[in-house]
Amino acid sequence: MKKLQDIFLLFKRHLKKALRTPIWLFIGLSQPVLYLLLYMPLLKNMGATSLLPTAEIVRVFVPGMLVIMGMGSLFAGFSFIDEIRQGIISRWLVTPTGRVGLILSLVMNQLLTLFLQSCILLIIALFFGLHVSLVGIILTLVLILFIGITMSSFSYAISLSVKDEGILASITNTFYLPMMLLSGIMLPISFAPNWIKNMALFNPFYYAVEASRCLFAADYGNIMVVKGFAVMIAFTLLSLWLAVRALNKMAV
Amino acid sequence: MSDTILQTKNLSKTFSSGRGKKKKDVEAVKGVDLEVKQGEIFGFLGPNGAGKSTTLNILTTLLAPSNGAATVAGYDLLREPKKVREQIGYVSQAGGADTASNAFENLLLQARLYGISKVQAQQKAKELVERFQMTEFAQREASTYSGGQKRRLELALGIVHQPKLVFLDEPTTGLDPQSRAYFWGEIARLKKEGMTIFLTTHYLEEADNLCDRVAIIDHGTIVALDSPLQLKREIGGETIAVDFLNEKDREQAKTLFGNLKAVQKIYPQDNKLHLVVQDGESLIAEVLRMLDKEHISIQTIGLSRPSLDDVFLQKTGRSLREEKK
Repeated sequence: MKKLQDIFLLFKRHLKKALRTPIWLFIGLSQPVLYLLLYMPLLKNMGATSLLPTAEIVRVFVPGMLVIMGMGSLFAGFSFIDEIRQGIISRWLVTPTGRVGLILSLVMNQLLTLFLQSCILLIIALFFGLHVSLVGIILTLVLILFIGITMSSFSYAISLSVKDEGILASITNTFYLPMMLLSGIMLPISFAPNWIKNMALFNPFYYAVEASRCLFAADYGNIMVVKGFAVMIAFTLLSLWLAVRALNKMAV
Repeated sequence: MSDTILQTKNLSKTFSSGRGKKKKDVEAVKGVDLEVKQGEIFGFLGPNGAGKSTTLNILTTLLAPSNGAATVAGYDLLREPKKVREQIGYVSQAGGADTASNAFENLLLQARLYGISKVQAQQKAKELVERFQMTEFAQREASTYSGGQKRRLELALGIVHQPKLVFLDEPTTGLDPQSRAYFWGEIARLKKEGMTIFLTTHYLEEADNLCDRVAIIDHGTIVALDSPLQLKREIGGETIAVDFLNEKDREQAKTLFGNLKAVQKIYPQDNKLHLVVQDGESLIAEVLRMLDKEHISIQTIGLSRPSLDDVFLQKTGRSLREEKK
């Protein structure tokens, strides 16, 4: 009981802080919306010639944009490092509140932002002619939230060990772009040459993108859906474990 | 012993840096034995990098030791860290006030994390706002606070649950003399109320004025532990400090004074030579005569009763005053 209450209390505090600068909600949103506005129309015209049927374009493209937004949680550590430096985190660590709860409260705050961003993106996508079932949307959102947990926890874990925004920036940027390109977010990996296909098999987000595309296509029984959830749940647990571990080693 | 609130046995911490062949183990803390008595103000001094922060991090459950054991506020540090956390308070050097919230919100959340009910937490927050004279700014975001105001909030955060033992890591560093005096008063008041205080500081006046006992740590080991008075007594009577123009002169003088019977100890520091003597007033003339005879010129000469800085200098070879920067 006390543990749940602590998570809620800390979450409330993070939320209050986030609401003070609501601009962050829109900064995270800007990238996928820009892709939607300035990049997807290109695909539409390509589709008209050969690659994909026009109606399919939106349905294939939007899940990728949701995944991109989930992956954006990798940058959650930036405001966190400031809190480490100010001694706020170590102050909480010396209270009886749990380590896991502290990480979960931070992750939950990140997820709320991510959820709101995803909803806004979906509403915009509706105007572009997105047709998708409610089940497909809900299951995809769950998958995106797993990505959010994974990426924010990794980000907190890295922040706790490096405690420096510059190093965090170079680490996250090094991973972010290849992960994004190798996940088939922009165009399905099935268009890619074999060597890229093989590399994508080692990228957890490839499975997430494939799974969310199946869900958008109402192909719920596809093996890629199972694989996508299995991979993301595994990474969720791994990243949370790493974040808690980093918390215990922080005071070096 | 019932009046011991903190005891460490052979507490050690080794950090490894690098990998493979370049792997290097650094022993930050090497077998520290400490005992803090209930109700005292215990000073913990040491040069930068001596193992002070590491020890503090271990004692406040932030870092697991590589070796050794400790009992803090009646509980085993390794086996029951959560129980220890319930009993101790901690104000870190960085402070830890949440600058995105105001003083009242800060205190309220802190109290709630210690399991205090909402009503009581509000009561407690109000009480502490008054006690530390924060009424004027308690409803304002902490990012607008002055250094002294923020520090007051942080001390209040450290004692919100009335801990038996509170760790204060350089509580007055960077404060103006007036705020420092205020904090000394508040720390003394906490002691009067029965709290045990474990304090690190860079200010020797602070250690001298406040602390019942002082430990000095250097290179990861405790090199001195006693009351300030006893430590000063230990290093002898008085100190004659002679400041030379260069190290060569200093070395020459060092051999010269080495033969003097009245000089108990000599230790150099930069161009200075510190002579620990009895009856310094009469000896100072003799010292000047000897220097004159050898044609060694000096910049200044002074006589002082031993201070904690002399103790520190003698035990660690460094002056704490220089460390401050």
